[in-house]
Amino acid sequence: MAPIRDKNSEFTRRKFSLCCGAACLAAPYVSANGRWIEVEHAWGTLRLNQPAERVVSIGYTTQDALLAMGVVPLAVRHWFGENPNSIWPWALKTLGQTEPVVITGEVSIEMIADLAPDLIVAIGSGIARAEYEILVQIAPVLMHASDEPVFGSPWQADTRRIGQALGKDGHAEKLVSDVEAKFLSARSRHPDWQGATAVAAWQNGSVTGAFLGQDKRAQFLTQLGFVPPEKLRDVTARQGFYATLSPEDLSPLDADLLLWTSSLGGSSDIARLPMRRTLNAHRQGREVFADTDVSAALSFGSVLSLPFALDRLEADFNAALDGRPGTIVASAASAGLTP
Amino acid sequence: MLMIGAAVALTVGVREIEPHEYMEALWHYDPFDPAHVTIVHIRLPRFLAAIVVGAALGIAGLVMQALSRNPLADPGILGVNAGAAFALVLGTALMSQADQTVLTLLAFPGAAVASIVVFALGGGLKGDAGPVRLTLAGAAVNAFLLSSVTAVVLVQQETFEVKRYWVAGSLSDAAYRPLTAMAVVIGLATMLAFAIAPSIETLSLGTDLARGLGMRPGYVQAGALTVVTLATGAAVSVAGPIAFLGLLAPHLATRVLQNSKDRSLRFRMVMAAALGAFILMVADVLGRLIMAPEEVRAGVVVALVGGPVFVWIARSLKPGATA
Repeated sequence: MAPIRDKNSEFTRRKFSLCCGAACLAAPYVSANGRWIEVEHAWGTLRLNQPAERVVSIGYTTQDALLAMGVVPLAVRHWFGENPNSIWPWALKTLGQTEPVVITGEVSIEMIADLAPDLIVAIGSGIARAEYEILVQIAPVLMHASDEPVFGSPWQADTRRIGQALGKDGHAEKLVSDVEAKFLSARSRHPDWQGATAVAAWQNGSVTGAFLGQDKRAQFLTQLGFVPPEKLRDVTARQGFYATLSPEDLSPLDADLLLWTSSLGGSSDIARLPMRRTLNAHRQGREVFADTDVSAALSFGSVLSLPFALDRLEADFNAALDGRPGTIVASAASAGLTP
Repeated sequence: MLMIGAAVALTVGVREIEPHEYMEALWHYDPFDPAHVTIVHIRLPRFLAAIVVGAALGIAGLVMQALSRNPLADPGILGVNAGAAFALVLGTALMSQADQTVLTLLAFPGAAVASIVVFALGGGLKGDAGPVRLTLAGAAVNAFLLSSVTAVVLVQQETFEVKRYWVAGSLSDAAYRPLTAMAVVIGLATMLAFAIAPSIETLSLGTDLARGLGMRPGYVQAGALTVVTLATGAAVSVAGPIAFLGLLAPHLATRVLQNSKDRSLRFRMVMAAALGAFILMVADVLGRLIMAPEEVRAGVVVALVGGPVFVWIARSLKPGATA
């Protein structure tokens, strides 16, 4: 297998045209041999002669599914954060010693061509049709299904599709059912979570908001048996997945469980919010704080990050739900949010 | 007029508050009562910020227009907004965090450095900060800083969070900004402005004539630019960039005072300050109400209203007029 190059390698025009030429020459040969793997997606059909080995992941979260199935991508798309190789802690042990190339910002087609992949996974990557048409000449591209939104496809569907393209359908199915079983067992361990109200909130400067509906963080809570509070259901959702609240009225956040997420890791803006102290959720010690890693795990909502988030949050949820300020919630305490 | 503004700013909002609760909030403050928290931590700081920022921008705008003899001058052309934005975005990128207190400390120095650079480029160091040179220097520095902001945001996408809240100013962070410190700065700037107001009026007769009358144009220009820098920099630190306010308030002040006997610069400054504060208060309240419970930033409301008014002013100006 060709070595993975580091992102600083030089790239010549000759190599590119050679690659293109080779791909063009190889294409009729491959399809004439018969199709081994076929996956329908929003912009066409993915056809692979054999399971892909050299995979480039340009979706913002698709590296997790690939790593979970034991395939280290040649390149990874950087979304946010300061992690080496842009791989978050929950996926680190699957990485081993290899260092994938990190793609930042817009997708560099030359960089991808230089890596000579067999498969380009572009689910949730936001590429335009025009970029897709060029990328598909380098290697088959996997997109989301036609009935899924670009950035909101369910993690189970993503994992299964990627598993199909890798020829590891069984492995993918097992991963999905393992994670779902983990959530189910958490639910059965905590019957008091069923029907309790919970909300995932964010604070950006002086603006407070909550996640709702199909958002991954809201779904995380729903999967564990929680329901959104009454008042939050009345607040109109913007673009369907979050709502901004007036600083004068934070009562929609008053739930049995208040999960604060953070985007850049800081909790000082939340700690400093005077209106928060008037909430019953605060005075009864029902707040939980998701730090950088946990918040990122919730945002990713992938097959590897969700169990990670659940592990880190389960104990805190338990401590928060008893409604007694005396029970210290570890994450809230370290974030300075306790009453 | 200011009284009406005060009443409106303090009473109108998403939360309904009984009149007696206002007195209670001040004398028997209870941190667990949402009404008290709203009054003391949300409405009061915003009201005070509106006064301070509105007055600062009004005076800065008036001084800017008088000094540059350009009725379409806005304090932002000195690069203060761009300077503050750049300092903030760079700070976030370098420090990898977006803690509000740390960041807002960067805004004022950023604004100050930018306007010093504009002043220097505009020939101020040689004592000849002519209006044309100054405007050109301002435009150049603005372009440079704003493209630098875009460059940083493209490289480190996390900084976009900071940048997008900085595009239009708002009073909603007033409780977290160094309001008292900036109020002091603005107070100093106002005193300086009043002190040099007669000199600016003399200067508007023309640099040569002013020199003939025994004035030192260089000092007056430096003084005026200090006023504008301090006032606008402080305003930007507290509320972010508020476009058009520095442009509107002076013009409205002139129109209001058209028929009054005292048309001196000092009196117009007072009027511009009062009008600036009033407009900002109203804009903030409108922002709270238009799309409740979401808030529209005051800077956006001012721009929405200010745009058409600006067009109306520009159309009613006679060529060559200075006010």
